[in-house]
Amino acid sequence: MICDCCHKNEAKIQVCDVEQNAVAHQFAVCNDCMTLLKRLVFDPATPLIPTADALKQVQAMLSSKDKNLALPDAPGALTVAAAKPEAQAPACPTCGMTLSEFKQRGRFGCANDYEVFAAHIDPLLERIHDVTPPQHKGRLPQGQADTSATDKARELAALRDQLESAILAEDYERAATLRDRIAAISGEPVLKSARPKKGGK
Amino acid sequence: MTLPAFNLFPHLLGEWLKGTGPESDIVVSTRVRLARNLKGYPFTLRATPQQRDELMLAVSEALKAARLEKSVVALKLDDVHAIHRDVLVERHLISRELATAEGPRAVVFGRGEMLSIMVNEEDHLRLQWIKSGFDVDRAFKALVKVDKALETRLPYVTSPKYGYLTACPTNLGTGIRVSVMVHLPALTLKDHVQKVFKAAEKMNHAIRGLYGEGTRAFGDFYQISNQATLGRSEEEIIESVKAILPKVLEYERRMRGTLFSDERALVEDKVFRALATLRSARMLNVQEMMSHLSLLRLGIDLGFVNEISAKTLNEIFILGQPSHLQREEGREMTPGERDKKRAELVRSRLVVGRN
Repeated sequence: MICDCCHKNEAKIQVCDVEQNAVAHQFAVCNDCMTLLKRLVFDPATPLIPTADALKQVQAMLSSKDKNLALPDAPGALTVAAAKPEAQAPACPTCGMTLSEFKQRGRFGCANDYEVFAAHIDPLLERIHDVTPPQHKGRLPQGQADTSATDKARELAALRDQLESAILAEDYERAATLRDRIAAISGEPVLKSARPKKGGK
Repeated sequence: MTLPAFNLFPHLLGEWLKGTGPESDIVVSTRVRLARNLKGYPFTLRATPQQRDELMLAVSEALKAARLEKSVVALKLDDVHAIHRDVLVERHLISRELATAEGPRAVVFGRGEMLSIMVNEEDHLRLQWIKSGFDVDRAFKALVKVDKALETRLPYVTSPKYGYLTACPTNLGTGIRVSVMVHLPALTLKDHVQKVFKAAEKMNHAIRGLYGEGTRAFGDFYQISNQATLGRSEEEIIESVKAILPKVLEYERRMRGTLFSDERALVEDKVFRALATLRSARMLNVQEMMSHLSLLRLGIDLGFVNEISAKTLNEIFILGQPSHLQREEGREMTPGERDKKRAELVRSRLVVGRN
């Protein structure tokens, strides 16, 4: 059977819409189209849409993919914002993961990828988890729970980098959040001039 | 083709299908899972077969050291027949992805099937605890105990900024997913489920079908789960799921009340027609079985049907799944053969006067 979506590959997977507890529509798709379809239909961030509509979107993706290998920036889809070809990070030296492979698969190859692609994934993480800046809160394995001084310094440096780019981008809301975060970690205000001076009556 | 024996389950039903626990008229089960990866190995996507073997060995040694190995069953899935891997999926012990994946991978399960640990799924480790009813706190507490026992022996990869590092950024941070499986037949009948979906999405929660990601609701069963895993503590995530549930429960109960008082004849008709079909059908496909069982379950909860227990329904629910049928028969069956066998099973369990 030929894929109902790309009309090229052999269909391997049956997809059906269930309405009123009965199968309403049935489609057969190939593995490649299923990968794309999954992101549209089963991404928890997107509302449920009829499979027929989703297939049309996948077809649109495929035709745009032929041109520039980029998925349209659907809300909630696992795409990385603002990744122009010239700004692409190099491949991860540990596992060989590239940004475009990550975009395609939505999965990283190793833990090191989070450092290699840090600049690209923070905006993505903010979107997925609705948190600015992306910062873990909660359990860590015992013995790792106390962040060491060096970890703290590294984190502060990263936050200051993000603050700088936020200011450059004139994203003051984000900058303010970052500033407060830095202040909370370092225990000192970042922008001294922004604070009213005390005792200057 | 005949199948080898596969009976590793001490009970007919896993604990989560017992139909007990808080709010069990609507909440079938509560599941908590944690995603973990080990230091020194690439994620599963990039791990070599040797590395994946090493990882399985490391996990089995950690289980021994934690004195957990006696109370669990460990299975290398390459040694398990595809139909039996599906049996594990139907029992919610492994994901469909792990069942159909290739290469060295394993599952470890025990404690009345409440605990399961998938090895070499998308993440190195996926720990889960399922309890019947709405019982997030206990499920989480039990799972953290296992996680703590393992973390002292297996070096997890974490970072101060991103928490537990995971293969997919959607699980990053705490790596926790809290899923509550609910049965919403009244909301489905009254066509209000979409409203619940929208409300849940607004509160940053997802609703999915019975078998999790990649499935649509069937038999009126839905899973409500947290979406964000980063930037909130485990407790905050649990509280947010606990906060949304009472609203869904209240809504479903209100609709059941409306059905009972205003549309009683209509609903009774649906329920008894479903029961009649289940008691008479000679061929039943799984969707049909599930939708009739769903109505029957509603009929029991509304007090229309008294002679059938929730336990009987749950037994049919699991034993009527395609791979459970084939395991019972000891051979691969065509869909047509399965539909016939399923109808026989259902009829024998619902014989008038038996329950």
